[in-house]
Amino acid sequence: MTTPPRLDVQNLQSFFFTRSGLIKAVNDVSFSINQGETLALVGESGCGKSMTALSLLRLLPAPGKIVGGEVFLDDRDLLRLPDIEMRRIRGNDIAMIFQEPMTSLNPVLKIGEQIAEVLRLHKGLSQKAALKQAAGLLTQVGISDPVRRLRDYPHQLSGGQRQRIMIAIALACDPKLLIADEPTTALDVTIQAQIMDLLLELKQQRQMTMLLISHDLGIVAGNADKIAVMYAGQIVEYGSIEKVFHNPLHPYTQGLLQCIPRLGQRHNLPTIPGQLPDLRKQLTGCLFLDRCSGPCAPCSKQMPQIKEIEPGHSVRCWRY
Amino acid sequence: MPLLEVKNLRKSFRMKNSLGRTSGQLIAVNDVSLNVKQGETLGLVGESGCGKSTTGKLILQLLHPDAGQVFFAGEELTGLSPKQMRPYRRRMQMIFQDPFSSLNPRMTIGEILREPLQIHRLAPARQLRERVVDLLERVGLSAEHELRYPHEFSGGQRQRVGIARALAVEPQLIIADEPVSALDLSVQAQILNLLQKFQREQGLSYIFIAHDLAVIEHVSDRIAVMYLGKIVELTNAQELYKNPRHPYTEALLNAVPTPDPGHPRPAALKGEIPSPIDPPTGCYFHPRCPYAETICRQQEPLLENISEDHCVACHFVSRVGRYLFKK
Ligand SMILES: Nc1ncnc2c1ncn2[C@@H]1O[C@H](COP(=O)(O)OP(=O)(O)OP(=O)(O)O)[C@@H](O)[C@H]1O
Ligand SMILES: Nc1ncnc2c1ncn2[C@@H]1O[C@H](COP(=O)(O)OP(=O)(O)OP(=O)(O)O)[C@@H](O)[C@H]1O
Ligand code: SF4
Ligand SMILES: [Mg+2]
Ligand SMILES: [Mg+2]
Repeated sequence: MTTPPRLDVQNLQSFFFTRSGLIKAVNDVSFSINQGETLALVGESGCGKSMTALSLLRLLPAPGKIVGGEVFLDDRDLLRLPDIEMRRIRGNDIAMIFQEPMTSLNPVLKIGEQIAEVLRLHKGLSQKAALKQAAGLLTQVGISDPVRRLRDYPHQLSGGQRQRIMIAIALACDPKLLIADEPTTALDVTIQAQIMDLLLELKQQRQMTMLLISHDLGIVAGNADKIAVMYAGQIVEYGSIEKVFHNPLHPYTQGLLQCIPRLGQRHNLPTIPGQLPDLRKQLTGCLFLDRCSGPCAPCSKQMPQIKEIEPGHSVRCWRY
Repeated sequence: MPLLEVKNLRKSFRMKNSLGRTSGQLIAVNDVSLNVKQGETLGLVGESGCGKSTTGKLILQLLHPDAGQVFFAGEELTGLSPKQMRPYRRRMQMIFQDPFSSLNPRMTIGEILREPLQIHRLAPARQLRERVVDLLERVGLSAEHELRYPHEFSGGQRQRVGIARALAVEPQLIIADEPVSALDLSVQAQILNLLQKFQREQGLSYIFIAHDLAVIEHVSDRIAVMYLGKIVELTNAQELYKNPRHPYTEALLNAVPTPDPGHPRPAALKGEIPSPIDPPTGCYFHPRCPYAETICRQQEPLLENISEDHCVACHFVSRVGRYLFKK
């Protein structure tokens, strides 16, 4: 008997209803993550990674709306829960590390207060016990002098320190599912390695499940089990990390892997020429068509569907 | 004469205890000296919290140093009044690390980019729109984005707006603080190529702060490595990668993750992370340094030239390199 996945997302669609038209930011996204597994979500800036993550938590900003799909956490469909229950799930079962720390930290509250609040609320600790545990969390995320640091306001911290405060807050409530949106963008590689070790430990010891959004393919390769590659609101390739890295099928994935800068490489960096299509336009063919290195006949006429090519490896492309 | 010369900059912040009284100080930038020539890129790397952003803000006089001097094109900036500083504001730009809080939430992107062009009279009124669209396209955005507000963008799109704004006023020096940290590889490469193109065409100089060593190596002529407020190594980019001479630089190079799932994950640096409020004695790196001996706990190593363009602050320069793994 196979156990059902911890998180199962089916045909998720989230659109922005703006003055200038409908933006299909998340357009028919499906993936699943088993307990204790890490799925990496990668893709071009603006392709819909953060909006996918926010949709799972039902925190999509206006004028965005989830217009379709299902999101199962174990056996509960999050998109159909009453608001109060959803609030309980956020924070208790699912925690999120937001992409921009400054937008989610409260600028007029000391960081100690902000972490302690989570611990009081979700773990029922006293203020004193909460502050003590908060200091421990700061040490775990590599912040020195934690007791003194708890008295700092967010603006007194460096970019990477703020990011680590966000990580500490997310981990404070011991989530079943962690959504980490670019969690290490402000961290040097040694602190980054320390944070990734901490996350791996939580995964191994507590079977934490993780959705990891990152454009750092080194981090993805070393920490994820599966990968979903997004383009213009859709998943274009999906599979185990080994399969996708060693045998990328979609031309976007192939291009992306060729862009990896390596130490010691000084010449002009390769890019994928062109840019994301205007998400408001009604496009009939493949969304990657304009940038594709080898389109074929059906590409301009019909949108390809995602198709399993070999067990555990799917692609959305007419070439296969 | 270098375009920018920074001498012995120092900045501390006062720390308060729970009663609100001053209790000790945090030395964020500690005796930093560097220079940048016209058309040159100086990379700045170091541990999170080591003082990189503070150094950038001190250079632009957005923060006032406790001590030290900043010279731009031969003029001393330290001590200038805000009014005297004004002509320099356009010539020196900063791309801020946190794009969201540096963009006015009540202005559309078009307005954000138009404003500096108008203030500095860089384009006649009828060409403004064209210039704005051109800037957007250069950073991989398009005219469709002109009427949107900052919150209507993704993280990486906002970061590119910050870059477009800095480039808009045709500065001589840009301090770019993690300018591509939120960008996927293809867009990142596109932006780096763009910054380098501007440099070739206009002789722009950059101070480039980034944590991605492959990026830093690619764009920089010289690289300064900071640790706990001080520069510990400074040399040209190739030398730094091939022949790191400070144990912290070596640890950084070893911690770069490899984009290949079969590869072992890099190891984190061992030892407790020191506090800038109570820095260790002697060499600040000694509690985590695999080469440390007694002298390291007692005496601070000075930043010294080991060759013409390679400075290092370490008592055991000649031993370092032993633990560097070749990738
Ligand atoms: N409030 C909004 N109104 C209109 N469009 C929006 C809004 N928020 C986001 N978008 C658009 O939705 C698309 C998806 O955005 P999202 O933040 O999910 O991208 P992302 O993949 O996380 O990118 P990045 O890597 O740059 O963070 C983008 O094209 C963005 O411009
Ligand atoms: N306004 C402030 N008040 C008190 N301390 C501050 C203030 N600004 C910065 N600091 C402290 O100064 C030190 C250096 O901060 P800075 O932002 O320069 O680091 P950084 O090298 O840019 O780090 P990161 O890579 O994480 O962005 C940090 O320990 C930070 O907490
Ligand atoms: S001086 Fe000593 S402790 Fe400091 S880096 Fe060199 S060997 Fe290590
Ligand atoms: Mg995002
Ligand atoms: Mg910084």
